[in-house]
Amino acid sequence: MKRTTKFLMGLGALVATGLVLVSADHIDAPSSMGTTADIADFYAFEPSENSDNTVFIVDVQSNVLPELAYGNFDEDVLLEINIDLDDDLIEDKVIQAIPRDGRMYFFGPAEPSQTGLNGSILTDAPLGDVEISSTNAIVETTSNGVSLFAGPRQDPFFFDFFQFNAVINPDVASAPGGFLAPDTAADTFDGANTLSVAVEIPNNLLGTPTATNALGLTVYNTWVTSNRKQ
Amino acid sequence: MKYNIKLVLCGLLLAASISSCSNDNDAQAMMPEPMATCDDNIMNGDETGVDCGGSCSPCETMSMDPDFSGTFAQVDFMGRPGINTTLSFDMDGQPSVKDAHNVSVPSEMTSIFQVGFEARLEQYHDVYANKLGLDPADVNYEANILGLDATTLTTVLSADVLEVAPDLPTTYFDPGTDNDNDGRLLVPDGDEVALTGRKLTDDIIDVSLILFFGGAEGDRFSGQDLNMDGNADLPRLTSDGVGFTGEVLTTFPYIGNPE
Repeated sequence: MKRTTKFLMGLGALVATGLVLVSADHIDAPSSMGTTADIADFYAFEPSENSDNTVFIVDVQSNVLPELAYGNFDEDVLLEINIDLDDDLIEDKVIQAIPRDGRMYFFGPAEPSQTGLNGSILTDAPLGDVEISSTNAIVETTSNGVSLFAGPRQDPFFFDFFQFNAVINPDVASAPGGFLAPDTAADTFDGANTLSVAVEIPNNLLGTPTATNALGLTVYNTWVTSNRKQ
Repeated sequence: MKYNIKLVLCGLLLAASISSCSNDNDAQAMMPEPMATCDDNIMNGDETGVDCGGSCSPCETMSMDPDFSGTFAQVDFMGRPGINTTLSFDMDGQPSVKDAHNVSVPSEMTSIFQVGFEARLEQYHDVYANKLGLDPADVNYEANILGLDATTLTTVLSADVLEVAPDLPTTYFDPGTDNDNDGRLLVPDGDEVALTGRKLTDDIIDVSLILFFGGAEGDRFSGQDLNMDGNADLPRLTSDGVGFTGEVLTTFPYIGNPE
């Protein structure tokens, strides 16, 4: 979908009415929405069948709306990928990323200095650093087989944002039929970009999990936080 | 390097007071001035620091190392996609639940948010009861394709972590799989692979909608035309109608080039 004037006007109206709280995690709450620390999305996957690596991708900021902060990683914002191995939902290992002067510096995976809402950078456990890319991806691979990336990317998320807002609107006249059929539904995020931080890491650096999911399969419990310097 | 290895070795040998440096570059050994090398512990030649800069390797500017000091406090959080967005609900005049979720830790989330999430799930059903002209008390969440009732589903989802399996293929959930061929989309019978992470292409919105509104068969509210008059009689709530249309790279970092 191309961005039409109507589309942008519609977005502007939604911003004005405070309904812009949608999607994977983009723009999800009043305090973080539209800031340089706003987490847009989080992915964790096996890069190929039978791979012994796991890939983590953290997206921050988005230009899906014109009013949002977008374009530069904030040197006061530390991104932290948390990994719980033993199912107590408390991080056992963290991977940190923070930009300095055009490069993204990574630390860990290592035990955090403290668990919970506050923390510091694990300067005793540097992982590597990579130049922040522009259009073409610049990738560094460390001696222990970890690949690192940071830079603007196509936002892979897809969602009919407008119709979702119409669906959840309690007004009985608003979208009584629910979502639209594929021939009329529109992916609001088509054409949007985000700032990505990506790490591909051998599983043996993360530790052996004992946690299981709802189907009994062995998993890492993972989550990402953005953290602002105090 | 300003001199070749042979000359550097020669210089080292001289520095170590070994009498001569006999090879076919004897002319160098007769130079009256000490040679400036990149490892003589002196800033000389065109060096900009001791044994670095100029034609030596760049200086490691220790004094300009990035400053990584300080305390950092959590301002945003994400585990599974869409949880805070769809299940947290802010009310006018009340502290923002969505903000609270972002400054919480997973081990405490269920006790803080599960009740609100379950209420929100029922509230969505009330919205459509009203749009269908039905009594909201009669249109409620029904146990989904995983067999989870509202309390169990919201308990699972309120512990907001993204599970990723180190040794299995990744799928957030594949609602199109009928693994046990019983005509239902997916009823767990022990051999499914699901909830093993999130790929760039996973349709997590449709999965969430199916888990919220699909009922036991995954298609409870999917735009059915019950009286066959050509018009949908039930709302379409189990798919937003859009799929992945972007680009995924075959190699790291996998996520596509910016638009």
